[in-house]
Formats: sequence, structure tokens, C-alpha cells
Amino acid sequence: MSDQTFYQGPSKIHLASFPPKEQWNDWVEIESKAWPKREEHHYSLVPTTCFNCESACGLLAYIDKETGEIRKFEGNPEHPGSRGRNCAKGPATINQVKDVDRIPFPLKRAGERGGGEWVQIGWDEALDDIASRIRRAIVEERENEIMYHVGRPGEDGYTERVMGAWGVDGHNSHTNICSSAARAGYAFWMGIDRPSPDHANADVIFLISSHLEAGHYFNPHAQRIIEAKAAGAKIIVFDIRLSNTATHADYWLAPQPGSEAAILLAMARNLVETGRYNREFVRRWWNWEEYLAAERPELPRTFESFEKAFLELYAGFTFEYAAKEAGVAIEQLREITDLVAGAGTRLSSHNWRAAAAGHRGGWQVSRTLFLLNALMGAIATEGGVYPNAWNKFVPKPIHATPHPKRWNTVTWPDQYPLAYHEMSFLLPHLLREQNRKLDVYFTRVYNPVWTNPDGMSWIEMFKEAGRIGLHVALTPTWSETAYFADYILPMGLGPERHDIHSYETHDAQWLGFRQPVVRTARERAGETFTDSREANPGQVWEENEFWIEVSWRIDPDGKLGIRKYFESKKKPGEKLTIDEYYGFIFENSVPGLPDKAAAEGLTPLAYMRKYGAFEVARNIGAQHEIPVPQAELEDIATNDFGRVYTRAAKPGPENIVPLPAPEDDPDGRRPAGVQIDGKILRGFPTPSGKLEFYSSTLATWGWREYATPQYIKSHVHPDNLAPGQMVLNPIFRLPTQIHTRSANAKWLDELAHVNPLWLHPSDAERLGGIETGDLVRVTTEVGYYVLKAWVTEGTRPGVVACSHHMGRWKLGETGQRQMSATVGLQKDASRWTMHRKSGVGPFESSDPDTQRIWWTDVGVHQNLTFGVQPDPISGMQCWHQAVTVEKAKPGDSYGTIFVDTEKSRACYAKWRDMTRPASRFSPNATRRPWWFLRPLRPSKSEYKLPV
Amino acid sequence: MYRRPDGIVDFNKSICIGCKACIAACPYDAIFINPRDHSAEKCNFCAHRLDMNLEPACVVVCPTEAIIIGDMDDPSTKVAQIINRTPVSVRRPEKETHPKLFYRGAHQATLDPIAARRPGGGLYAWATQPQGPNEVGSGHPLSHANSSAAALLSYDVSHKAPWDWRVSLYTWTKSLAAGIYLAAVLFAIFGGVAWTSPLMRWVVPIGSGVFLGLTGIILIADLEHPERFYMIFTKHQWRSWLVRGAFIIGGYSLVLLVHFLASLSGNVVIQQRVAIAGVPLSLMTAVYTGYLFAQAKARDLWQNPLLPPHLFVQCMLAGACVLSAFAIAFDLPSRDALLWLVSLSALVQLLFVLAEFTLGHPTAHARLAAHQMIAGTYRRWFWPGVIGVGIAIFAPWLWWGAIVVALIGLFMYEHSYVQAGQSVPLA
Repeated sequence: MSDQTFYQGPSKIHLASFPPKEQWNDWVEIESKAWPKREEHHYSLVPTTCFNCESACGLLAYIDKETGEIRKFEGNPEHPGSRGRNCAKGPATINQVKDVDRIPFPLKRAGERGGGEWVQIGWDEALDDIASRIRRAIVEERENEIMYHVGRPGEDGYTERVMGAWGVDGHNSHTNICSSAARAGYAFWMGIDRPSPDHANADVIFLISSHLEAGHYFNPHAQRIIEAKAAGAKIIVFDIRLSNTATHADYWLAPQPGSEAAILLAMARNLVETGRYNREFVRRWWNWEEYLAAERPELPRTFESFEKAFLELYAGFTFEYAAKEAGVAIEQLREITDLVAGAGTRLSSHNWRAAAAGHRGGWQVSRTLFLLNALMGAIATEGGVYPNAWNKFVPKPIHATPHPKRWNTVTWPDQYPLAYHEMSFLLPHLLREQNRKLDVYFTRVYNPVWTNPDGMSWIEMFKEAGRIGLHVALTPTWSETAYFADYILPMGLGPERHDIHSYETHDAQWLGFRQPVVRTARERAGETFTDSREANPGQVWEENEFWIEVSWRIDPDGKLGIRKYFESKKKPGEKLTIDEYYGFIFENSVPGLPDKAAAEGLTPLAYMRKYGAFEVARNIGAQHEIPVPQAELEDIATNDFGRVYTRAAKPGPENIVPLPAPEDDPDGRRPAGVQIDGKILRGFPTPSGKLEFYSSTLATWGWREYATPQYIKSHVHPDNLAPGQMVLNPIFRLPTQIHTRSANAKWLDELAHVNPLWLHPSDAERLGGIETGDLVRVTTEVGYYVLKAWVTEGTRPGVVACSHHMGRWKLGETGQRQMSATVGLQKDASRWTMHRKSGVGPFESSDPDTQRIWWTDVGVHQNLTFGVQPDPISGMQCWHQAVTVEKAKPGDSYGTIFVDTEKSRACYAKWRDMTRPASRFSPNATRRPWWFLRPLRPSKSEYKLPV
Repeated sequence: MYRRPDGIVDFNKSICIGCKACIAACPYDAIFINPRDHSAEKCNFCAHRLDMNLEPACVVVCPTEAIIIGDMDDPSTKVAQIINRTPVSVRRPEKETHPKLFYRGAHQATLDPIAARRPGGGLYAWATQPQGPNEVGSGHPLSHANSSAAALLSYDVSHKAPWDWRVSLYTWTKSLAAGIYLAAVLFAIFGGVAWTSPLMRWVVPIGSGVFLGLTGIILIADLEHPERFYMIFTKHQWRSWLVRGAFIIGGYSLVLLVHFLASLSGNVVIQQRVAIAGVPLSLMTAVYTGYLFAQAKARDLWQNPLLPPHLFVQCMLAGACVLSAFAIAFDLPSRDALLWLVSLSALVQLLFVLAEFTLGHPTAHARLAAHQMIAGTYRRWFWPGVIGVGIAIFAPWLWWGAIVVALIGLFMYEHSYVQAGQSVPLA
């Protein structure tokens, strides 16, 4: 039918890539398993969003209209970010839905915590217990004893608002084992803490990462990077390992780990020295005047003297120095600098983890990478890097919630005032040091015992009487952390829950929608639902509805002032429903959506249920260059550096994406923009309104030596290694797994299940002739682990690498049987030993494939042996380890792990003593710079340091 | 297996008997037995989607649009432009399969499965190598044989060799079934044994018949769909040597039946007349396997012109062994002559083996397979096989000892040959 939507596929022929959307209510497909017999099935195609990584790529669920079962997931051609394509993790969602080891009902622990005994309970029992404890804590003003610790949020702001409604500064995240360093580097420049590279239009793509930024936005960015490459773009990759990304590079450098910032500064210096940079842009948009005033007051405040000062500041960063520091060929440095110089404003760059997440001072890696963009003017340009907040849309919710009137020092401690963000992995140490406890602790899609460093300290924390009152694990799967929970409450996977979210995949703003697909399919067929448990497998629920219910039980009569945030607007006094919550947002808060929906005769909610995604805007462009409208300029004042403040009221934004909040001027005017060449332009959300080459924040908070981009020698710099030590890269990841929540996907486990130690042949030789498969022992500061070697030239000599995701374990029978080894755990004072009892093998279940499991080895859990190493400024766990590698000792067996938590505590203290706490260094008696982004921002009064 | 008008090769699963000859033959190892329905299957370009005007699933999902399809003969399509205007490669062009799957920008080390070195330790970079008697992983076990890139295989999906010990076994039983009759009848024609001898009357039809029956049972048991075995007679295609062999065996079993009935009624004339068909049929029964193996054109070791005569010699040796055993047990006059036949055929068998394995091999695949036989995975079958037959040269002196080790040796040699031929990775 020619009037039906035709989705053109990559082959560009008459075949479509997807069924036309007009037939998504009743699509007939031939069953592949019965082929060549033509067995026709009728499907309801319902969109949702993948939950497996942050990219939130679109998925289409195929629901058999006869059986009501989900047959498979394909991509969603209507999704502006993923454009119908997916990585392996997307379609593997079907494995996760059908996982025979998933937890279908709420469980309560019977016996001691960690004892492995569970009893099935009803939701009400759990809800009442949890709600009453939270209520008591709030009433007794112990709000700081309530904590929600999230791994993969998958949504923008919903749960933060729940905490806000409760008045609890209880949000904790995984950011500082992930991206804190990269964020800090970007945030010091532009306030906004994430980059949004426009890869598809770039001439030069510069990545400091593996598999297209080490796990984030793999699919949407991979598409656009290769698109650019096919159009002639050149790719530079810094990766200390031969990754898939490196194989696509025109220039692959594997520098000495931690030397990346030195290379980048040498490149920057050369660009300025040879005049091959965007002088106009730098003159207009860098806060060079502030730099000169603060650091070089003797110089005239002209741009020429800034150029001179810049070259003096980085005089030591010659190519010779960088080549020596990094151990790379000097010609390569010259060539990549030439490439960058030729890119002009079409330079897209990205660093999110990799070197930033590996090293002390890693935040300077993203900062010096962005320095190149700032030099070339490739910021918010086509083919350049956008501030992510401009490529992200967060709609206003039905209820705005207040800022908590609390400050939780266990997530935002005194020692780390500039951290991006919560000091999450320090929880066991901070609770102990501050002599605090948690009454109700939620872990949600988060497995700190496994994913965090120093997991044994977490186990000790859970087992310590009185430290954690109630541990509630919100998870559909077993995990090493769930074993130590008191309640395991199964929450829905991507196709079993509601969420909205928006992520920066390119220069556009889109809103993605996740929904319980079977519920929607059945609603299409005429059924009505009030609760996702009615349509999900077993008693699996979803957090949106769960939090509404918990909040009502915390405050049943509304007197605590909590219930009102979860009440219906249409029917006051009644519980808010999911349909009303999202209906409100789609009807009122998403520009363009109501019109688009009406054009198809649909309500906005129905439109989103049908398409799963909506493009709010595209070609956002250079927001910083937009002039501030006259209406906003009322009684303005301009400071010495051109920052313009106004008394005009701030217009309510349509897009409530969190933005940094530069402070008012001393007279109470709010920042409006910045004066550049006689015009008042929007600028960047920084104190100066400009790109902060010079960070007054760093200067005034005790880190003057790092006020400008610098090179900080890593904790694993060769100078800091003992003789014979090597550098371990434990953060290399695979695009086919995602932390610990893809172990329930059998196809992914078949692809990747073991993490041998990557060892260069020269090192293998040096260590006594190690061959692939031989057992080796890797010793860290706090313990050691024994695993197999993988001898390869794909790692730099002197650097070993061991992949993340693998090394899962269970203590008994219960767990993810296809991916978890069975282990024994012994403790002798502070000394823990884990030994492998058995690997994985085929087993009987309702899924015949579990009998076909052919792998037995599922790797070794290295993270247990890493002490906590928080960067003193960004708070990032500095993942790279100084290790000794040797042939396994007699008595070592595969999978043996040893940790001494006494050494963990010493390691914690050592790194804590590198910090410059707010109590000593804050310039204004506050805990943290007010203008910094912060999840669940408390009210301003809470920022004051206690007297 | 059939080819659609659009050129896609696909399977009619309802009539696949699971003989796995197609898997043995496919130069790309693209075919596998689906464990759910026990039928052969391969990528069929998502024919079920094409027929609904949808692109194949892999084309649609790939994040970087690295896979596309189209009509090669239509110059306006993207595929035609790529294959006509840019350098593209195919796998195994020397197999003359005229493939329609082209690669642009592929490195030789990724297209040739023995170009890269196979890692040791049973490991890949993030997975383990599947282990098991019939698992064939990629990579060259010794070195990166024919690529200048010194590549190391880092990740692979293994394939299962299609024909396991049961195929080796029924080749051996078939050799006995053919050889007992053939050796005896040829002997009788040249006067070495009387047509009326108990050997001719009973050992021949019953011995051959029992081994032929065993062959049939094992052959059927090896099928993935043993209940469909009759379809080899009802739904066959004549070009397949598996089919021809089935009919040959069928014809030969009729000969044996007639011979046995004639023995019951003591009618030697009928036996002599039916031998006119029996000799060629028994010879073909032994020898058709050589053509079957050669038809598996993916397996270089089996592209061996010496195979049919070699199989003839083996069946003569096997037959002579059984006949000698009875001759010894019943102290028959033909005993010594039969033992010399054992000795002679053992010697010729060894000469064949020597020729096949000392001359060198024309391709890397054949060389690797031969290596696996002689020095690699299957050496513990090959060497006893050769030594056993070598001992049989002394049959006239060793009698029973020679017969037993010869028969065991023949099986062990056969097993090493059948398995080594399939041990070379194809994809």
C-alpha cells in the first residue's frame, strides 16, 4: 500500500527495514522457526526503550496477539537517537525477560543477612515495613538515615523528586566509579558536565576511550562515527589497549597510562605557537582576562599578552617532553596535531571514562581534551562538541518538589567539596568514620559489592550489626549485593516499566518513553489496568508505581506534607496514576507533542505509547551566542570581566534540564549573560559566563595550582611505581555486556564470559615464560587474585588489562546460574579469602537452552582487590592499579581471591589525606560551590558549613 | 536443500534426514544442525522476511550499516555499485562456488580461518574455546600459516564437525560387508576356494549380511532424523553420492539375499550368476565412500584420487581377515592362501598410506588435516592403525594375532582419517 510509511533500510532497495507504523497494531509475520512452512503470527508492535545502558535506544516489542508473549525485540525506527538500530544488548532483552533465574516475587530474608535463605512474601508486607521505617525516620528527623542508591537510573528526575518530596538528601549514585573525573573536567570549563559530540558532521574525531567511549552511547555514537568516517573523517584514538575502536582509527596511540593530558597540552601549546587555532573564538569566549588578573597581574590585560602568558604557562609541554612522557613516537604527535589544526570547528572529541577514570588527576584528561575544542572554537558547532544540556530535554512534571532541608555528609562529605558527584563507593568507610548508620538503604539496579572497589568492606558493612538497618534491593535479578539484602523487590526490566528520559546523542533534543509492553498491548486489545503487576511476569512491578505507593504509606493522611506530591490533580485526594502522571507531562510540558499527536487523532499519551519517542527540537546550535532579550535586562550591572547581572525575573524554562547555578552578584541580581564585543549574549552557565580556562572555583577552594588545565602525574606514573610493578587497566569493557545486569542474557553470556589478564609477550617472557592459559597472580595494595593469562600484543608493554563484567559469583545454589561461579568465602579477622568451588555448567530448566551451556569458566572478580582511591578533587575512583604480576604460587588455584580489609582502611586513609576539605579551604564557609551541578540539590541554607 | 529462484539456498526441514553431508561439503561451514528440530539450517538471508518485503534482520540491526543486500544484476543498487567499483573479496574462491557474499575491506586474516594463529590455553580474549570431541575452532594450531600479518585469533564461534565416530564405524563395517563377499568371490573365481566351501556358502552371505546390516543400523542411528531414513529412497537427488551409495547398498543387500537363499537350496549356479552383479556392487559398496568424501568439497584431505583404490584394498584386507579367521577356526584348505591375501593387502594398504602422507599435500588445509592425523589430535588413532596393519603383513606366521590387530588397526586408521579430514576450520 503506497500510502503506508516506508522505512528505508541500509540497502536502499525496495525492502523496508521495519513494518509500516500503520500496521503496528496488527502486523503479520512469518515465524522463522517454522520456515519454510509459512506459519503466520499476528503481532502487536509496542515500542519501549532498552534499559541496558544509558543510551536508551529504542526497541519495538513484538507481542503475539494469540499467546500474549513477547516474541522478540527489534529496533524502533521512530527513535531519533538510535534510528532503528541496536547493539547486541538491545535484542538480548528477550533473554532477560525470559531468564529462568529471574526473581518473580518479592522475597524476604529468613535467617541472617547473607545467609542465603529466603521466603516469598507479598508486596504489602514489604511496603508496610519499608514505609513505616521511613516514616519514623522522617518524623524523628533522621532523614539522613534514608538512602536511595541507584546504579542505572534510566530516567530523568523521577526518583530525585521522590526524595525531594520526602525531604531527604538521600540520593546516591554510581557516578564516581564511572564518570566523575570526566564530568569535572568538562564542568570546570563550561559548567555543564557532559559533552555531546556531533560525530556525524565532524572532520576529525578524537576519542580517548575504547569501543566508542567505553560503554556509553555505544550504538548511537558508533553509527555517527562510522557515518563520518565513510564521508572521509579521520579518527584519532588514545587507548592503551587494542580495542575495536582503535582498529577504526587512522591514528591509534597507546600512551603510557596517565600521560594523555601531557600529550594534549603539548598539542595545545603547538597550536597556539603556530597560530593554528581559532583566535577570535578564544578571544571572545575564554575568561582569559580573569586569568591574567588573577595569575599575571603584571601583564597588560590584552589578548596578545594572554597568548604570551599561555605559551609561558605551557612552556614545558614540548612534543619532545610529551613523546618521552607518553612513550610514543614524536612524529605521531605532530601528525595528529596537524589533523586537529585542519579540523577547524569540525572537531568532535569524547572522553567519558578510560584515562579520566583510571588516574589520579584524570579529570585533567577531559579538561585538556576539551581545551583543544576550546582552542579550535569547536564548541556548539556542526561537527563539534555541544554542552550536553543543550541536547537534552527534561519536561516539567505534574508536581514540582521542594529542595531537601538536609545535607547528607555520608554522600557529600567535607573532604570532597568539588566532587562530581556523591562519594558513593566510600559508603562503608564514611559510615564508619562518621559513626553513622543507615536505617533504610535501597540499592537499585546497583551491585556495589561487586562493581565497586573494595567489595569486602561492603560485605563487612552489611554484616555489621546496626550499621544498615534495612537493606532493600530493587532488582529483577540475583546479584552479589542482593544476597546481603533484607528484601528483594523485583522491579521491571526495560519492557516492564514506565520511564521518560532524554540523552545527548547528537545536536537535537528527544524524549524517550519506556512502557510495560504487554500492558500496553493488552490495553490496545481493550483491557484496562491500574497496576503494572497485573501485566508483568509474576509479581514484577515498576518503580514509578512503587514509589507512589510507598509515599502514600509513609504519609497516609498527608500531614507530613509528602502525600500531596503523589496525588492526582484531576481527582484531588486520590492516588496519582501512571497514566495521569505521564498524560500530564505529555499534554503540558513537551512543546510540539500535543500538535503532532492531534494531527494523528491521538492524545499525547497515546502518541507516546504508539511511537515511544519524540523529537522535541533539532539543530540547537550555539546557544551561548544568542543575545539576551531586552525584556530580561532590567537594572543590569556588569562586572570587570563582562559578566552581566539583571534584576528581571527569570523566565520559567520549558526545558528543566538541570543546569549549573552561577551565583548572584553582591546586590542580589541574577546572572543574565555576558558582554562580548559590545553585545550581551547568553554565554555559558559558569561564574564568569564564559569558558573557564581559568577556574576561580579551583583557585579559591584550595587548588590554585590546578586553576588552569594541567598535567597531574598519575598514581601509577612510572615514578610512582615500585620496581617490577606494572599498571593494571581493570576498566576495559565490552559492548556486549553491561556491568552486572546483562548476566541474565544467555546470548551475551555465550559471547563473553571470561576475563583473562591481557599480557604483552615481552612481559610474559620477562615473568618467566608465561603462556596463554597459565595461571598468574596479580597483587594489589590490598590483596591479590589468581586468573589466567592472555598473551597478546594488544596491550602496551608494562600494562596489563583485565576486563570488567566477568567474575560473577554466588555463595550457594541461588543466583544467575549461567554466569556465576559458586564460591566459598572465609574470613579471619580482616583477612578474606574467596575460592572457587565450581564453575558454570548445563542445567535443567524450562528453557532447553540451559542444557546447551557449553562454557564453564566465568572469570575472576578483580574489583574486590582494589582499595578505594578517590581522586581528591573529582572524587572519581582512580581505577588503574599498581600491581605485581607473577606466575601463580603453589597453592594458588584459579579464582582464588584474597583481601585484607585492614589494608583497605589504610588505603582509604591515605587517599583521604590528599584532600583539601571544605572545612579548611572553603572560601565562603559553604560545603560545596553553590553553582556546581548536584543531584537533588538541597536548599541553599544547607550549603552552609556547620559552625 | 534447494535453491530459490532468487538464488538463496535454503532447507526444506520437513524432509531433511540429517545426514550432514551438506555440512561436510560446505566450504564456508555455514550449515549447522538446529538442536531444536534436528534439521540442517543455514543463514537463508532471512527468507521469511524477504517474502514480506523486509530486509534481513542483520542488515536492519547493524549500528553502522555494515551489511547490505541487493540485486547484483541491477546496476542501480548499492551492492552492485560496491562490487563493481570497489575491490571486494569472497571466501574460498578456489572452491568454484561462485559465492554471492562479498566483503569490502576485509583483511585476509579474517577471511581465511587458518591465517591467524589459534591461541593456546583454551582461551579467547573474553570467552573460552568450546571443547569437545567434535568442536572445530578457527585459527591455525601451529602458527599463522599463510598470512603475513602474524595475526592471533582473539575471538571465534566454533563449529561442530558433522561426522563423528559413527561414520568412521560404519565405514569400517561397510568395508567388512563388502570385503568378505568380494574377497571370497574373487578368490573363488581364481580357484583359491571352492564355491561349495562353507566359507562361500555361509560365512560370505551371513558375514557380509550381518556387517551390512550393522552398517545400515549405524548409518541410520547417525542421522539426525533416523525416523526419516527411508526418504533417502523416496526424496533423493541423484547427484548425491550418499543417495547413490544407499541404492548401491540396497542392490548389494539383494545380491547377498539371493546368495544366501541359494546357499539354503544348495544352488551354486545361481550364486555364480548373481556374482556378475555382486562383484561390481560389492566393489562399489566399499569404494563409493571415496566419491562421497570427495564430494564434500570443503574437505581438502579427501580430495584424493587414491581414495577409491585405497578403499578397495582396505575392504580386501578386512574381508581376508574375516575369511582367514573362519578358515583357521574350521581348518579349511584355503587358510594359507587367505592369510597370504591378508599379508599382501596389508602391504598394499601401507604403501597407499605411505604415498598419501609422504608426498606432501597440495593445499594448506590438506596439509593441516594430514598433520592432525599424523602428529596432532588424531595421532593416537593413526599410529596404532598403521602399526596394526603393518603387523598384519606377518599374518602367515602370526595368524590370529595378525587378524585381530589388522581389523582393529583398520578401524583406528579409518577413524583418524574421517575425523582429521573434518578438523580443519573452514570459517
